[in-house]
Amino acid sequence: MTQVTIGDRIRRSWAITVKDMKIYYMRPPALMFGILFPVALFFTFTVGRNLSPDRLIPVLSAQTVFWSASTIGPVAIPMERRLRTFERFLSAPISLIAVLWGKMMAGFIFGAGITTLATVIGILWGNQTVSNPAALVLGIGLSSMVYSAMGILFASIPTGSPGEVIVPLNFVRIPLMFVSGMFIPVENMPAAGQIVAALSPLTHTIGLLNLGTGSPSVFGFAANIGALLVWMLVFLYVGQLFHKMIMRRE
Amino acid sequence: MTNTNAIEAHGLTKFYGDFLAVDHISFEVEQGEIFGFLGPNGAGKSTTIRMLTGVSTPTEGTAKIMGFDILKHSVEAKSVMGIVPDISNIYTELSAWENLIFTGKLYGVSKDRREKKAEELLQLFDLYDRWDEKTETFSRGMRRRVCIAMALISDSKVLYLDEPTSGLDVKSVRSIRRLIRELNEDGLTVFLTTHNIEEASQMCDRIAIINRGRIAEIDTPERIRTAMKSNQAVEIAFKEQTKGTREMLEKLSSVTEVQKRGDKLRLITNDSAQTLREILQAIDENGLVPVSLNTLGASMEDAFLWLTGAEMESEIIHRRNRRR
Repeated sequence: MTQVTIGDRIRRSWAITVKDMKIYYMRPPALMFGILFPVALFFTFTVGRNLSPDRLIPVLSAQTVFWSASTIGPVAIPMERRLRTFERFLSAPISLIAVLWGKMMAGFIFGAGITTLATVIGILWGNQTVSNPAALVLGIGLSSMVYSAMGILFASIPTGSPGEVIVPLNFVRIPLMFVSGMFIPVENMPAAGQIVAALSPLTHTIGLLNLGTGSPSVFGFAANIGALLVWMLVFLYVGQLFHKMIMRRE
Repeated sequence: MTNTNAIEAHGLTKFYGDFLAVDHISFEVEQGEIFGFLGPNGAGKSTTIRMLTGVSTPTEGTAKIMGFDILKHSVEAKSVMGIVPDISNIYTELSAWENLIFTGKLYGVSKDRREKKAEELLQLFDLYDRWDEKTETFSRGMRRRVCIAMALISDSKVLYLDEPTSGLDVKSVRSIRRLIRELNEDGLTVFLTTHNIEEASQMCDRIAIINRGRIAEIDTPERIRTAMKSNQAVEIAFKEQTKGTREMLEKLSSVTEVQKRGDKLRLITNDSAQTLREILQAIDENGLVPVSLNTLGASMEDAFLWLTGAEMESEIIHRRNRRR
């Protein structure tokens, strides 16, 4: 019996990512909540407010990455539960964490791809200078990982219907937008609001994207990166625990 | 490795809330066997297969697949098995080829090997002509064959088949049974769950009958059938049959019960030879004209019903209350 190496695990995980990209990227719920919804929200909150491009682009990018990256897991996993294709992973020689990592990568690529496109269009349209490319890239890349992991966590809800995952997820996603400095800058919030904002991963996404377009980040570059890394690990770890709990029950 | 059992289940138990679905079952399957797991609906067959394949975690107990513990060495255990669940869970958005290649990647089969094997399997399963068509256009039987092919892409040593022929037409059923036999002749161990008694009887080297979450019997189909000595029967048809004919037969000392089966009467007995003697004597004495006379051994169906039939409702209530 040959040993399963880390390289083997990564290859198997990647096979899941590629398969999910083929099957789920063009699904109606993915297109609706991953593309249409963030674009519609962006225009709802920005049209007529006469905001400058350096204020608009972080909002556009943050909303897009937040919604798109967190949508693929909640679309793919319930559908696979309903068709019982998710069982294929559970009976295959691959650990649960590698399965979830593969699913997370599918969300990450979806989120990062769409957000990069939206951000490039925004920058070209607004003739905006990128003053900190590293912050911008990390803001999009790391945030895609975090929100994709958040989607995987919610997808542990044992249902065969994506709607039954997306609705509770929206109960978290929508309030988060209002406490993360997206519409009201964090520095203008009351003290309690600032504490809540510090705990929200979306605040740190906006912080990095602000730095990228030349605006300040309230909590600073290092704190933004650290908070996003912690949230990614928390979402992935708790998601794995919930999926294991479901396996014990099923 | 040759002395290792293909499957060893030790005290496998599964509770769903308070409901005891599988109750401390233990059994062994030797390498190269076709082992049937037979039981009525809700007996615990699929739950057992889900625990044996790592899809569901047992509440208690464990299992070894080719010597690898499914809980402690799950990746190694899963590397040597292929699974065909009770529904064909293939990716209908992908072609047969893509389904096989994806499964090969998931099991770590090298590129050259998985492509060669996928081609061989598609030819073996008569799917090669439609290899690049999305499987959503495939018939039920074709999807079943894709599902079995996916289970074989990794050179599995143990193949789990959960109700492999359920809901298929006669042609597909025969083709799948033939394939299973051929794979077994090549050394593959097959664990087959079914509620089709005839299928189990025809295909399996040994059968476990599971009922209400417990193993009721494990033996060869023939031994299970012949063990049912108390359920022999003699079937007789008369040219003219009256109510008195039946009453006369009911009085025979070796007959325990008389059942009407169409134009025949079935006499249940513990000793068919004695019953035959008594019938012939009664025919002479009463001037009856027999049209046909047959002795019947217990069928697998009789054995199955005898082992699984009694007091199911009260047992389910008992199982619900076991945890309280």
